[in-house]
Amino acid sequence: MRETETITLEINGRRREIAAPPNQTLLETLREHGYFEVKSGCEKGDCGACAVLVDGEAVDSCLTLTGTLEGRAITTVAGLKRGEELHPLQAAFVKLGSIQCGYCTPGLIMAAQSLLNETPDPGEEDIRLALSGNLCRCTGYTKVFDAVQEAAQVLREEESGL
Amino acid sequence: MTETESWANVNLRQVGRPLARTDAPGKAAGKTRYAGDYTMPNMLHAKVLRSPEASALLRRIDVSKARALPGVACVLTAADLPDRKASTDIPGQTGKKKLATDQQVLVKERVRYHGEPLALVAAETQAIAEQAAELIDFELEPLPGVYDPFKAMRPGAPVVTAPDNVVGEHKVRKGDIEKGFAEADEIIENTFRTQFIEHAFLEPEVGLAWIDENDVINIRVATQVIEHFRPIAEAVGVPHNKVRILGALVGGGFGGKEDVTVEIYLALLAQATGRPVRLAYTREDSMFGHGKRHPFVITHRTGFTKDGRITAVKVTITADSGAYVFLSPYVLLYATVAAPGPYRVDNVHVDAVAAATNNMFTSAFRGFGAAQACVAHEAQMDEAAKALGIDRMELRRRNFIRTGDKLVTGHPIESAVWADECMTKAWEALGERTPDAGPVKTGRGVATYQQSYGRITWLHDTSEAWVGVEVDGSVVVRSGVTDIGAGQVSALGQIAAELLGVGLDDVTIYNSDSAVTPLAGTTTATRGLYMTGNAVRLAAEAIRGRFLARAAREFGVEPGEVDLAESKAFVTDRPDKSMAFKALVALCASEGVHRSELVMFRAPFTGQIDPETGQGRVHPDYAYGAQAVEVAVDTETGEVTVLKSVGAHDVGQAINPDAVAGQIEGGAAMGQGYALSEELCYEEGRLTTPSFSEYLIPTAMDVPRYQSIILESRSGLGPFGAKGIGEPALTPVAPAIANAVADAIGVRVFDLPITPEKIVMALRRAEAAE
Amino acid sequence: MFAEFDLVMPGDLDEALDILAEAGGDGDAGILPLAGGTNLVVDLRARRIRADKLVGLGRIAALRGIERSNGRVTIGAGTTLSDILRDPGMVEAAPSLVDSARVFAGQMVRNTATVAGNVCCGSPAADTVPPLLSLDAEVTLAGKGGTRNVPLADFFLGYQEDERRPAELVTKIAWDAPKPKSANLFYKLARRKGDAITVVGVAVTVAVEAGKCTTARIALGAVAPVVKRAREAEALLEGEALTPELIEAAARQAAEDSSPIDDVRASADYRRHSVHALTRRLLSQAWAQVTEGG
Repeated sequence: MRETETITLEINGRRREIAAPPNQTLLETLREHGYFEVKSGCEKGDCGACAVLVDGEAVDSCLTLTGTLEGRAITTVAGLKRGEELHPLQAAFVKLGSIQCGYCTPGLIMAAQSLLNETPDPGEEDIRLALSGNLCRCTGYTKVFDAVQEAAQVLREEESGL
Repeated sequence: MTETESWANVNLRQVGRPLARTDAPGKAAGKTRYAGDYTMPNMLHAKVLRSPEASALLRRIDVSKARALPGVACVLTAADLPDRKASTDIPGQTGKKKLATDQQVLVKERVRYHGEPLALVAAETQAIAEQAAELIDFELEPLPGVYDPFKAMRPGAPVVTAPDNVVGEHKVRKGDIEKGFAEADEIIENTFRTQFIEHAFLEPEVGLAWIDENDVINIRVATQVIEHFRPIAEAVGVPHNKVRILGALVGGGFGGKEDVTVEIYLALLAQATGRPVRLAYTREDSMFGHGKRHPFVITHRTGFTKDGRITAVKVTITADSGAYVFLSPYVLLYATVAAPGPYRVDNVHVDAVAAATNNMFTSAFRGFGAAQACVAHEAQMDEAAKALGIDRMELRRRNFIRTGDKLVTGHPIESAVWADECMTKAWEALGERTPDAGPVKTGRGVATYQQSYGRITWLHDTSEAWVGVEVDGSVVVRSGVTDIGAGQVSALGQIAAELLGVGLDDVTIYNSDSAVTPLAGTTTATRGLYMTGNAVRLAAEAIRGRFLARAAREFGVEPGEVDLAESKAFVTDRPDKSMAFKALVALCASEGVHRSELVMFRAPFTGQIDPETGQGRVHPDYAYGAQAVEVAVDTETGEVTVLKSVGAHDVGQAINPDAVAGQIEGGAAMGQGYALSEELCYEEGRLTTPSFSEYLIPTAMDVPRYQSIILESRSGLGPFGAKGIGEPALTPVAPAIANAVADAIGVRVFDLPITPEKIVMALRRAEAAE
Repeated sequence: MFAEFDLVMPGDLDEALDILAEAGGDGDAGILPLAGGTNLVVDLRARRIRADKLVGLGRIAALRGIERSNGRVTIGAGTTLSDILRDPGMVEAAPSLVDSARVFAGQMVRNTATVAGNVCCGSPAADTVPPLLSLDAEVTLAGKGGTRNVPLADFFLGYQEDERRPAELVTKIAWDAPKPKSANLFYKLARRKGDAITVVGVAVTVAVEAGKCTTARIALGAVAPVVKRAREAEALLEGEALTPELIEAAARQAAEDSSPIDDVRASADYRRHSVHALTRRLLSQAWAQVTEGG
């Protein structure tokens, strides 16, 4: 066994010291520590089910070595929740029937959040581009596009204090 | 965009509304635990070692180094297993005699397909399990294999399944085929080829097994079928009541989690070690770990009169069943029944055969043979329309089967046939035609279908459900049904809420546990809602009846005058006479009125069809609908863009229209992949496309905005007249796209998938022919 | 699951180069630089590549940033595909590179993968390479002994072989921003539109003066062991007004300049056909752009 290093990560707003061997991916680390909402679909960066935010930007956690992330902030889909309330993206996915089997949903929501962090008012082409690394086999994506657009509007209204 | 149209006037309050599904919030918040998200103390991690060869003899397998590796708890090979085999037959509920279709659990001598399991490892960590698998030393002697079903049926071909590789055969002999063709003014004959495809559910197969204090092997697993506890028990040599299958919400199935996947391996390892064992397939394991969609070669010969009436249909189907039988005979039967399409044809001749090869085994996949059949019959209709000079939709209209007409099996169709209504609406929804742009040509296509819902009637399908009302008025539903993502569970909640007059939030549903939820049957064959929905309906109706009677007594009226809604019991035309549902339940409880009900719903039971003529009843009923699409084809590069895609289906009654639309849209995407980009490639049986970078399902950049149109004839056998939508949503999509591409470029590609390359080559051939 | 390796995260370039130079830096020590990791991590997991130690480049500030001065565009080796899309100036500074970044994998990979990593991964299907070749980009390599600049056109030596020595790092990629009267285009042909491996990628640059083509660049991806320029086709165009006939001839020549193979994605025949079709289309569009603009 190679030397396991202790990495400090902020996960869903909580600072955590995590021991990770150098060859461990963020996907493995997160699931090992109980963040089961991060899904494994291919472990090759082909499907996006494992997407999480690193400092607000979506990455495939299966392609990210935990040891490269010292001091970074990680957000999973569970970390988006606002106390008992669903985050507007989560709420829109529920409301608009954008979830079927749900296995790709955490990754889709994180990819969408990453888009909205930079582009608060995305057009459908922006959304397609932002979600093209997230495979979904159930929904056909149409209702997902609608949910992202609806959530974007809610978030813009929140931002402008409406 | 979803549009719903209803014809009947039924006063439904919960059913038919696009309620947020009960499973959605947990999934959105990341709270839902899938089968792979469970762990146990002292748990081992498993790995399957697979054959790198497709056809070989296992000369030697030495696991001593693997067993010696620190942290390895157990390594199993065929030598360690008793001579038990795993049944691959359709999971039945009646204990009827099974097909002799057993599969070796681990390779004993003969490797029959690339990826066939050679050994199982369980170790303290995943890394050790994988390392141990690599330390297993084995020697395979390649054997001549057979990789084509036609070659497999030739004399002298290597035998994969004794005696002659033929694993399924079906025939239809209806009317007088010679006379039918003699009456034809135009005969259209073409041969179509479909490919191996992968379900590509996002959740790879996974499970966790442990043995409890009663010696019950518990397996929590991602499956469509908890009734597999029976074949699993038989495979590992324990009574049926010593295996318990617990499901979880499943991350997609589509038929790929219909057969047993990891369960037997887990049970064997748990038995061998006495410890909990987890086995999670990688994506590559998953590509090797479950049966694929059958490639078909279909030759379709159709006779038409000048005015477009079909006089005869003769179809030959050859399916590649791969290395083991699994559900091939049934898939082939569905294709046989669906072969002529949703058309009235008096003279039909079908010969269908499935042959074993050393390719990956093939089994259930959404559409189950009918999808392949649709590829052929819908292309035939377009080719005939062209030859006859009749509009494509008009030609279909002249031939659609009508209620009361006899199907190809001689059995009359009893429910509504709204194929025309669906086709017309789907086509209209395409709107303005997108103009051509230089070398980019626009084309449109439509396809209709006939897809069964409910299982084959001689399987004697049943579904049990339990509904109960707690003393505080909250409702519990127990049904063994597995929820594979289509909202199976939530729909049951909506039905119970409807009949008991409460909100969906007031209902808690327990599902998918073979020990504690009544066995509901499989989530396959578009039977979930039809069967389990009816079972829940019957159970809820029984309780409702008792509650209405008690309330009527309280109100001094007849039970027929009382209704339940909005958590109240009330006299229908006397709103002042009402009481809270909760109060009524408390009253019933205090008087010992039975507040729960366990029921069994039975589908129609029949014997088998006549094997020589294919005449008899095969399915309870059929669904009809259509897909219309518009594509743009770049005639220089062959690239296809799907611009518009509309599915219109008569679902009988939508329980939740958002969930139905989700099925239609998801089916449209899956069918698009089937038509254009998806293909598992096997070279001499070796899979060359084992990842999502080679096996290409549509992404967010590949899809149009899908449209769904829901029609409700309320004529189905399901609850409130529902039919089904799971499989129908997929079936017409690929042929509609194929027809649109042919419309755009003037030539047809007969082999799926219609890749850019095939389009370029077809155009080149057409140019050379001119 | 991976074979085991060590991971170090140096804070500056010198430290990184020191580590890479350990054991003589002859490559046998299995010390590999780790940029975005979107290829390397997959290859390590599949055991196609073995490493004893990875040198993560994520903390080296000197590798970051995009600069534009005097018409020269320089991107640090840490520049991700998303950085390219995010920079509003890139649409003018490297239109074809922006086009390729849009169709590069999916968002998560674009957020992580670097342009330099894509260049160094050695794949003939690397999407950023045809655009960079069409822009006459130059690669800066740094080692313990100093830095050197290599034209990208000379960087690739053969399949999975390039100019970078094991102890060197690519630190920068630079090119001259396209001239005002020029067009620079890229098209990726793949089996699907989102997140797919390229079947054929073509980038072209056409610059015009006084009605004649002064510079022509045609770069072809996924049709040879390395991404390459179709120099003979380019030569047909320079100094000429691009008539449809000339464009057709150049496109034909480009197809001849390619040496594709059959694989699971497409046949060699179709790839050659597509080089022809796409080169003709992009040259026609480019010529229309530069001539209409004037």
